Amino acid sequence: MTGVVQQSKSSITLKGSAEIVCDYLNFGINSILFQRGLYPPENFQSVENYGLTILMSTDNKIKEFLSSTLSQLKEWLIQRSVTKVALIITNVKTLEVMERWDFRVEYEGNPDEAGGQVSEKPLKTIKNEIRDVLKQIASSVAYLPLLDCLCSFDIQIYTKSNVDLPSQWSEAEMAHVKNAQTVKMRSFSTNIHKVDTVVTYKNED
Amino acid sequence: MTDKVNDTIIKMVTNLKPSVDLEVNNFSCGTPLKRSSSSVSNDSQTSSEESTRIKRMKYAKEMNFGYMASPRETRRLRTDLLEGRNTIMNLESRIQHMHNVRKEMEIMYENESKLLKKQHESDRKSIEELEAQLQSIRQREADLKKQLADVNNKYSMLKVRKDEEIEELEKSLTEMKEESRLFDGEENAEIILLNRKLAELQMMLDAAEEDAEAQKKLVLELEKRLTEKSVTERELERKDQALQVALLKIKDLEYAKENFLEFQDQAKTQVQKLANYVDLEKDVEKLKCENVRLKDEVKNKLLLEEEVHDLKSRLTHYKEQEKRIAALQAEQVQTQVYLNEWRSVARGICEVTGSDSSLPHLLRCVVERLQQQEISLTSSKVELESQLSTALYEQKVAKTELEKSQKLLVEMKKTIEQKQNLFHRMQKKLGLVSRERDSYRLQLDSYEKDLTMAINPPSNAPHTSQLQSQKERIESLEKIVDNYRELNAKLESDLQSSNPSLYSEHGTNKTELLVKLQDEVEQLKLENDMLKQKRDQLEIQLEGLLVGQDTLHGGKVYHLGNNPLAECLAQREQLVEKLEQEVERLKIKIKKLEEGIESSKLGESALCPEEIHTLKEQIKTHESQTQRLKDYFKSSLHEFRNVIYMLLGYKIDRTSTSLYKLTSIYAERAEDQLCFQLNNEGNLNLLENEFSSTLEEMVNLHLRHQKSIPVFLSSLTIDLFNNSTMATKTFEIE
Repeated sequence: MTGVVQQSKSSITLKGSAEIVCDYLNFGINSILFQRGLYPPENFQSVENYGLTILMSTDNKIKEFLSSTLSQLKEWLIQRSVTKVALIITNVKTLEVMERWDFRVEYEGNPDEAGGQVSEKPLKTIKNEIRDVLKQIASSVAYLPLLDCLCSFDIQIYTKSNVDLPSQWSEAEMAHVKNAQTVKMRSFSTNIHKVDTVVTYKNED
Repeated sequence: MTDKVNDTIIKMVTNLKPSVDLEVNNFSCGTPLKRSSSSVSNDSQTSSEESTRIKRMKYAKEMNFGYMASPRETRRLRTDLLEGRNTIMNLESRIQHMHNVRKEMEIMYENESKLLKKQHESDRKSIEELEAQLQSIRQREADLKKQLADVNNKYSMLKVRKDEEIEELEKSLTEMKEESRLFDGEENAEIILLNRKLAELQMMLDAAEEDAEAQKKLVLELEKRLTEKSVTERELERKDQALQVALLKIKDLEYAKENFLEFQDQAKTQVQKLANYVDLEKDVEKLKCENVRLKDEVKNKLLLEEEVHDLKSRLTHYKEQEKRIAALQAEQVQTQVYLNEWRSVARGICEVTGSDSSLPHLLRCVVERLQQQEISLTSSKVELESQLSTALYEQKVAKTELEKSQKLLVEMKKTIEQKQNLFHRMQKKLGLVSRERDSYRLQLDSYEKDLTMAINPPSNAPHTSQLQSQKERIESLEKIVDNYRELNAKLESDLQSSNPSLYSEHGTNKTELLVKLQDEVEQLKLENDMLKQKRDQLEIQLEGLLVGQDTLHGGKVYHLGNNPLAECLAQREQLVEKLEQEVERLKIKIKKLEEGIESSKLGESALCPEEIHTLKEQIKTHESQTQRLKDYFKSSLHEFRNVIYMLLGYKIDRTSTSLYKLTSIYAERAEDQLCFQLNNEGNLNLLENEFSSTLEEMVNLHLRHQKSIPVFLSSLTIDLFNNSTMATKTFEIE
């Protein structure tokens, strides 16, 4: 399930770190989809991971979309071209951005290491950190405003300028939230990638 | 006809007289024209024209031939001419009339042709419409045939199903019958059992009946005995009653006897008492005296009791007062002590050893003095405090001014330093410029030297041209020198202008400049502060606004084209399109509904116009049926009523639900009506009115005694008939 590619006994490679980040994003995005009520609760089934029960979507469309997005993201993470991943929740009627979940990626360590970049951080600590962040995301329901209207989501990846774009991907516009509040959540790091989670939501009037 | 007449006339003229030629010429010339306009057929026209032309030719040839006619002949000719002219006039008129008629006919024909054309067109249109209707009807026919076929199919299907169901039901029926037979078999067995039971029960019944009979016989015997015994009982009762009566009498007699005995005793005692009468009187007097005495004693006793009570109350009151006195005495002692103390205090304050009576007054004066002093002191205190506050405030102001002036001093010092720096710089510049000047001068000298050097070596060469060239060179060099001098002068003047303090007066200008600079500095500082404040506010606003802004530090944003948001939006657009289409469709339907073309349902119902048509036809047939029924009923009702009127002699009118008015056929007046009312039990009651009041006898006889309304009515008719026939009879007689 963790998909860690181990070179030696307990170290993590670049690929493995990218996979950990993508896993975290998968779970985080699914839990956000459930929490914010973008899809009806009957579409979700609970899955155990990181010591938590997380609700994952059973809708094939969403699964496909997430898998394709995250696979591309993994490649770009390995290439070190991703700066940020944004999950935007938009009101379908008025095309107004209600919330934006930013997952900022920073690169640590030496990229030009011989034999590929390797991290000695134990997997358990990483998992604990991820668990803390996911718990925070789950508890965000306390202060996030209710989304009354019909909303849909989109995933945007912010990259550096010099990436080659596959056919299905297109350029997107940045999503600005008006009258916004931000809440910064915990970050976790694999010593190769460091992921910050920030939610920007529109203030209730 | 005209041709013939003209022929005859012309022949006559040509044959008889040339003098009449002119007239005839005119005449003949006139006629062809008229004929051409009047004749209908072309052939006659052309032929007549030809003939007239020929005749003219002939006449022209025959003009010379002539003879003198006799006056009779002239007159005859003239008359003939006149007649001819008349006939011609008539014919012309007739021709004109015919022309007119022809024109009218033409117009009529034209109108008729137009009408016919219109009719033709309308017929064509009607034919087209009819063809279209025919087609539509044929389509309907086809549709109806299809429906018929469908219905027939359905019917056959239904029939098949029903047959199957019938078979099933029959099967079930046979099964049921078998079951019933079984049941019957079972029941038969049961019946046999029951019959046996019945037989047994009957036997038991018979036995019971025999017992009952025996019992009845017993009962009869017992009853007989009962009656005998009852009789004996009655006799016994009678005897008891007599016994009781006798006992009562005995009791009364005994009671009377006792009373008598008592009376006897009482009488004896009375006698004894009489004997003691005198003693008793004396006792009585003694007792009276004692009574009076006792009464007096009682009164005294009461009085004494009152006094005792009063004294007791007073005692308690005095005891309380004693207590109060004791308390008061103690208080008085205390107050005396306090008073002494106060007096001592007052003496101490007033410092008087004299009498004690004037102490309070003196004390009061002292207290007043002290209070006034206090007031004055507080007022002075307040004044001092205010002075203190003003002094402090002035001190603060002075401090601030001091600080300001110190700041100014510092700034002034700074400006002075800056000015001195500037001065140094200017001096340095001057030095530099002067050095430049010197360098230029050196250059000039060098150039001059060069020139002289240049001039000197070629001095050996021939003089004139060299002199000229040298002169030219000298002039050019002099110009250069002049230019340099001008440059120099300019630089010096620039130096002077940039450093006026070195070359102008120092004192007052400096202060003026300082003041100006200070003012500028202050203004700039104020502006600076304002700008800083604005900047802070704007930064705060920016931060507030920028919270939601997404920033991108170089690089690009990408997303998957096939994302859920796009799908949602596409779905939404489809929904919106569908809704718009539906809205348009509904609007059209509403318009149609308002115009009344479509039926009342919104097209959701399965009714098609054919069904509507059939239903409408059904409605019409039903309505016509009802109408027919109504008419039939009306006519039959009328007939029935008429028949009843004729047969029974009464016209029955129903005025309300239960009121019926009868008018007899032989009624003397139209108002002679009988009113009957149908009551709740269904019987008729005759209501009173004028006419019924005249029929009292008949009412009494037939309704009250015989209780039959038909008899009453028939007797009334007979009566009225007799009256009317009598009247007629009397009339006849008379």
